Amino acid sequence: MKKFAALAAVSTIALGAHAVQAEPLKIGIIESLSGAQTSSGRLYATAVQYGVDKINAAGGFNGEDVQVIEYDNAGGSTGAADKFKQAVADGVNIVIQGASSAIAGQITEDVRKHNLRNPGKEILFINVGAEAMELTGDKCQFYHFRFTTTAPMRVNAMTSAMKEAGDLGTRVYSINQNYSWGQDVQAAINAAAEKGGYEVVDEVLHDVNKIQDFAPFVARIKAANPDSVITGNWSNDLLLLMKATGDAGLDVTFGTAYLDQPGNIANAGETALGHYIANNYDNTAGDASFAEEYKAASGHYPLFVEPQTIFAVGALSQALEGVDFAGGDIDVSKIALALEDVTYETPVGPIAVRKEDHQTIRPVVVSRVVENARYPADDTSMGFEAVKVVPGEQAIYPVQDSCDMKRPG
Amino acid sequence: MTNMRNILLIAAVLVALVAVPPFLGLGWQNALVNILIASLFALAFNLLSGQAGLLSFGHAAYFGMGAFATLHLMLAIEDGLSFPTPLLPLAGAAMGLLIGVVAGFFATMRSGVYFALVTLAIAELFHSLTPHLQGFFGGESGISSMRMPWQGFVFGTVLEVYYLTLFWVVLSVMALWAYTRTPFGRLTLALRDNEQRVRFLGYNAHTSKVIIFAVSAMFSGVAGGLQAISNETANYALFSSHISAQVVLQTFVGGATIFFGPVVGAVSFTLFAYLVSDLTRSWLFYQGLIFVLVMLFAPTGIGGVVQHHLRNVRRDDWLLLAGPYALAATGGVLIAGAVIYLTETVAVLFGEEYAVQIRNAEGSLPAYEMFGAWWEPFGIATWLVPVVLLAAGGAILVKSRGNILKCWEKMGREVGEGAHEPAAPGVAK
Repeated sequence: MKKFAALAAVSTIALGAHAVQAEPLKIGIIESLSGAQTSSGRLYATAVQYGVDKINAAGGFNGEDVQVIEYDNAGGSTGAADKFKQAVADGVNIVIQGASSAIAGQITEDVRKHNLRNPGKEILFINVGAEAMELTGDKCQFYHFRFTTTAPMRVNAMTSAMKEAGDLGTRVYSINQNYSWGQDVQAAINAAAEKGGYEVVDEVLHDVNKIQDFAPFVARIKAANPDSVITGNWSNDLLLLMKATGDAGLDVTFGTAYLDQPGNIANAGETALGHYIANNYDNTAGDASFAEEYKAASGHYPLFVEPQTIFAVGALSQALEGVDFAGGDIDVSKIALALEDVTYETPVGPIAVRKEDHQTIRPVVVSRVVENARYPADDTSMGFEAVKVVPGEQAIYPVQDSCDMKRPG
Repeated sequence: MTNMRNILLIAAVLVALVAVPPFLGLGWQNALVNILIASLFALAFNLLSGQAGLLSFGHAAYFGMGAFATLHLMLAIEDGLSFPTPLLPLAGAAMGLLIGVVAGFFATMRSGVYFALVTLAIAELFHSLTPHLQGFFGGESGISSMRMPWQGFVFGTVLEVYYLTLFWVVLSVMALWAYTRTPFGRLTLALRDNEQRVRFLGYNAHTSKVIIFAVSAMFSGVAGGLQAISNETANYALFSSHISAQVVLQTFVGGATIFFGPVVGAVSFTLFAYLVSDLTRSWLFYQGLIFVLVMLFAPTGIGGVVQHHLRNVRRDDWLLLAGPYALAATGGVLIAGAVIYLTETVAVLFGEEYAVQIRNAEGSLPAYEMFGAWWEPFGIATWLVPVVLLAAGGAILVKSRGNILKCWEKMGREVGEGAHEPAAPGVAK
């Protein structure tokens, strides 16, 4: 404890140079904005900007417009660590990130250390897409808020919806990428087996985004003779798997988590029809005015990770209404405390923060790919049609034992 | 005389590195830490590639292992081990040396392309294996720790980290420099120039190469350790080919044939990333462009060009050169302006925001804002600007190039053959 007292003393001196005056609330987006992962990085950035524009249109915060600063993490956690330091140098109050769990793990640790060393100058991390369980487990901390689902939430919702639609069957095949997310999904599939009334006939973990030919895996799937295949795969691993299954003429239903990634439907073509996805939102579920409003501002209907990001900024905006610094210094801890109490109404149901681990309790929407969709994806005639909206209290899972959160004060 | 001047120059740089940072902002302090680490890494890499002529495409492996070893030591300190925080990079050095000996033993059995491929394969091995080894590497999210205070130093601020990094980098650079002056350093050069002859002289070429490889890996490990101290975390992304490639680019842009060349490259690339990466999304394109231009027009790198001039610094024709050089620089700036203009225009016209504007304007192409002015997509001015810049810059460059050539030829005649002798690789003046 003595160490931290010394730490605090030095930090206070170091920060003493800061002038005492009203500063605007600064939001830093640390995303992959160049290189291979740019497309999802940009979606997060666009969605945050949309949400902040709304805050500013309503008068901003603390007497100033809320500022958004974009940082390009160049797709890696080293880049993210570097940009986090730059964000600190720029006086950022809130960091938003979502595209990768590895990067989120880096940022949440950086935020934790920064807050330990700089009491009174805390930074808040709003995670809008990183789903690794450890972020609300081992690494859980007061200044991290997760505004998206996790593997058990998606899998539980999906299996229940597929079961009701009669598409789940009793034999489920689990195939996932061999890293924490894929392992989380596999564990969730096994955990949901009893309630879903199915048997996991085989489970496979494979290399991440390295496999060019899924035919051997499809042969294994065929041999196990499943009714449905549940996978957390994303990007090429999902696309190539589905295509290989289609080519082999295998009649199974896929339950996925990332089928709505832009380009997937166009690439998969007819093969995608009838398959499921569990996600935070779908345009066909709930009130259409949200989608229309977003399209008017950005030119397209909200897709992929945009809705959850907009909801997160919406919840933040609601939290900001509850705090007032009268033009003075911004105390991020107060904003965090206010954010804990927010219940944000989305078109598909309310989102609230669970105080124990800062996971949001939120509805999960399960949808299916259909022909002649209301909101066509990727300029095809196909698109998603919501099958079921699982309310937050049904989708949520218990707090992980590994979470030991220290609250401020 | 040149020695005296070099010592003064180095002393001045050192004084600046020690005295200036406290007056800089956090962002710059952090950028300097990155510059120092990148410089050391590039120098360590160049010991192998420039001096021993063994081009490694997998140096990220030793950099990354150095980082992980340092982090594990940091974790041990957090758990109560009493070990002075400033000596942390020693763990990186030890790990780099160890892995370097093992990897070097296999890699140096072959030379040329095969050597490069083996090093690439070793780095890939680390990259694909580490996410699965939860215990040591912490899966794909990696491991993290916190710098612990030591003897009144808290190591909480960037400035403290900077001085720690500076100390280790200066120490390592001095060691690497001293290495080039030893008989073994000379043998390293000989191995590059004629391995056969070295063998005939009675040296064991393989053992020598393993030692060189291990030393290079050791200093890469120190650089990795410093990064681990600075970032307080490490994950498997440290082993990605991107990091291996970056150090190759930096070394060749800076100049692999000169001792301090890689430092020039590392400084320019890191500064470029720091200054430009948040200004424009096309920054990687510009970075690639710079690399291609340097390789095409200055194959010895920026350092090679600088050294060529330093060698001739005592000739009195600088006034003669100044004019054409200034002219050439103007031409270069004009062309750079045109390239930037065109790149950014393309980025705007094919960007998302503009796509929305087109949709809102129902198909017609609306004016867009760039560099604080409004441009019409089909306006004459819009396209006249780059054309004029390109034409003027090109004309100036062609003309000044002829003038510069004449100047050098004149100097060459006056001083004899010496002016165009190639820079002695690996040995700084």
